[in-house]
Amino acid sequence: MAKELKPGQRRVTAGSVVADLMIVAWFVFSLFPLLWMLLLALKNDADQTSTYFAFSPTFDNFVTVLSQRGQDLTSVDFGQAMWTSVLNCVGAVLVSLVVGVPAAYAAGRWKYRGSENLMFQMLSFRFAPELMVIVPLFVIYNTLGIFDTKVGMVWVLQLVTMPLVVWILRSYFQDLSPELEQAALLDGYTRIRAFLTVALPLVRPGIAASALLAFIFAWNNYVFPLILTDSAATTVTVAVTKFLGGGGQAYYNLTAAAALLGALPPLVLALTIQRYLVRGLSFGAVKA
Amino acid sequence: MTTTPTSATTPSTTTAKSLVLRDLHKNYVARGRESFHAVKGIDLDIRPGELVALLGPSGCGKTTTLRMIAGLETVTSGDIRIGDRSIADLPPGRRDIGVGFESYALYPPLNVRENLAYGLKARGAKDADARVRAMAERLEMTELLDLRPAALSSGQKQRVALARALIRNPPVLLLDEPLSHLDAAQRQRVRRELKVLQREFGYTTIVITHDQLEALSLADRLAVMDAGVIQQFGTADEIFDDPANLFVADFVGEPKINLLEGVVDEDGTVRVGRDGRLRSAARSIRPGQAVTVGLRPQDSHLAADGEPSVPAEVVVFEDLLEFGLGTVRVEGLDSSLVVQTPADVRWRRGDVVRLSAPPQRVHLFDPATGARVR
Repeated sequence: MAKELKPGQRRVTAGSVVADLMIVAWFVFSLFPLLWMLLLALKNDADQTSTYFAFSPTFDNFVTVLSQRGQDLTSVDFGQAMWTSVLNCVGAVLVSLVVGVPAAYAAGRWKYRGSENLMFQMLSFRFAPELMVIVPLFVIYNTLGIFDTKVGMVWVLQLVTMPLVVWILRSYFQDLSPELEQAALLDGYTRIRAFLTVALPLVRPGIAASALLAFIFAWNNYVFPLILTDSAATTVTVAVTKFLGGGGQAYYNLTAAAALLGALPPLVLALTIQRYLVRGLSFGAVKA
Repeated sequence: MTTTPTSATTPSTTTAKSLVLRDLHKNYVARGRESFHAVKGIDLDIRPGELVALLGPSGCGKTTTLRMIAGLETVTSGDIRIGDRSIADLPPGRRDIGVGFESYALYPPLNVRENLAYGLKARGAKDADARVRAMAERLEMTELLDLRPAALSSGQKQRVALARALIRNPPVLLLDEPLSHLDAAQRQRVRRELKVLQREFGYTTIVITHDQLEALSLADRLAVMDAGVIQQFGTADEIFDDPANLFVADFVGEPKINLLEGVVDEDGTVRVGRDGRLRSAARSIRPGQAVTVGLRPQDSHLAADGEPSVPAEVVVFEDLLEFGLGTVRVEGLDSSLVVQTPADVRWRRGDVVRLSAPPQRVHLFDPATGARVR
């Protein structure tokens, strides 16, 4: 006999138990490296290669990473690298918004010959391997004199963020009834004012989501700063790996501590905009 | 026209202007694809203050026509004139046309008051506040002024959208499917309201609709459109009683007109089915000619003795209180006929009835072209 279920109660079946177990297993599997890194970051130099969990935790590693000693070990000021990352990413996002928002509006409103090809072309920047373009970029950057500069980094990171902004915002603009702007046109506003005063305020949530998402993507980029910077414009992703060697010794504990510090800003951002992220990541395929 | 109290704050009734469309074409051309001729030469003369309904099935070009008048779509060729001014080349903001959009298109972040004032501000009107208040009073929606569109019912949204279209006092008003988002009860009420307001304000108005009841009840004259062409332009009675072609006859009328295949006989009557005969007032027919007979359910009656008639067997009879609807089968015809009966008549399944109709109500059409045979 089927028992009466209380509201919110789920029928427990063999299938649902197996499904839950699989979810838990996946959860453990995916979070384990994170746990390992956290433990590693709390270990001292002697314990760092041991695998047992009983050790006296220390926060020294975090202090070291940000101190002069860390800088001596890696020849990179980690705090400075964090700040550089912030500037690079904010710069890239700003450029993407200034150019990308009008582009997204145009792409969302008008169909013209090759418009879909153009959009696909832009999307292809997202899945083309960065290594494909890195060598020519290296040569070009040296020739132009923007190697190891923030301007150069903004320029290249914008390649990562712009397609994201355009694709996400296009779907927001498409969801907006064109009759809204047409009403504004009839009211005597120009195209541009109709865009600025009617359409733009209505996609503000989309702008916020795509900007933050773009920021995270730019922050996580590794290959571009690795090849296109040396020390002056080094980003946090590159700085983290410097603890792995160079001086002849690998400081796994310091690397882990640095990586945790470096992961903090995107993590905080991701948590704050969680609500918008789902739609952003699916390129707006799910109607909010 | 009604006189309205004119003070500084009341929007005075505009001097209504005529709206004329001359050989209006819209051709969507795309390279590599076949071009699409959406509107194929429309001529329409709308008198000052007149309400005309543009009626047609979806895809017939009526919305394209409206968008061309509003300036939201470029005109391929032809002319649009308001009064004696040609507006075909003006941007939408300078055409002086109010549009009520199907989706209402109210700005969601603004409240009703700001929505109404929005268009006035674009033109730098100094008395915007006073005009908004006056319009709100006139449309009895003062209590809505501080609400956002999201808080309004669809009936209220419709009213706000109308107020926004009217507030600039445009000589021409275009309404795109104004009642389509309302439920049946609201639809009737808003329909009457709309009619009263239009009379009172005296705007020259075009209403776009695919709903014939809406068109018949609202409009002074109807333009029935199909395939980018106006099939007939006239009053409701003209269109119902004297359809220009098969499409108009078929599209307008509820229940739908019966269309029967027939052949003109030696004696000038039309043979329908195996034994049926109907007399038509059409004079240009010749014996042996194949015709499509259009017979409205409302027009048929039981034949008197000696009158040419169509014998039919009752298949279904529906008693709808005010009238009855009989579905009958005629020997030799593929499709059945629907006949409207007076309230006191009851038919039973299997009854055999002899049907006839006044000759001037038996419409004949050319089966190949759909043109009316007169």
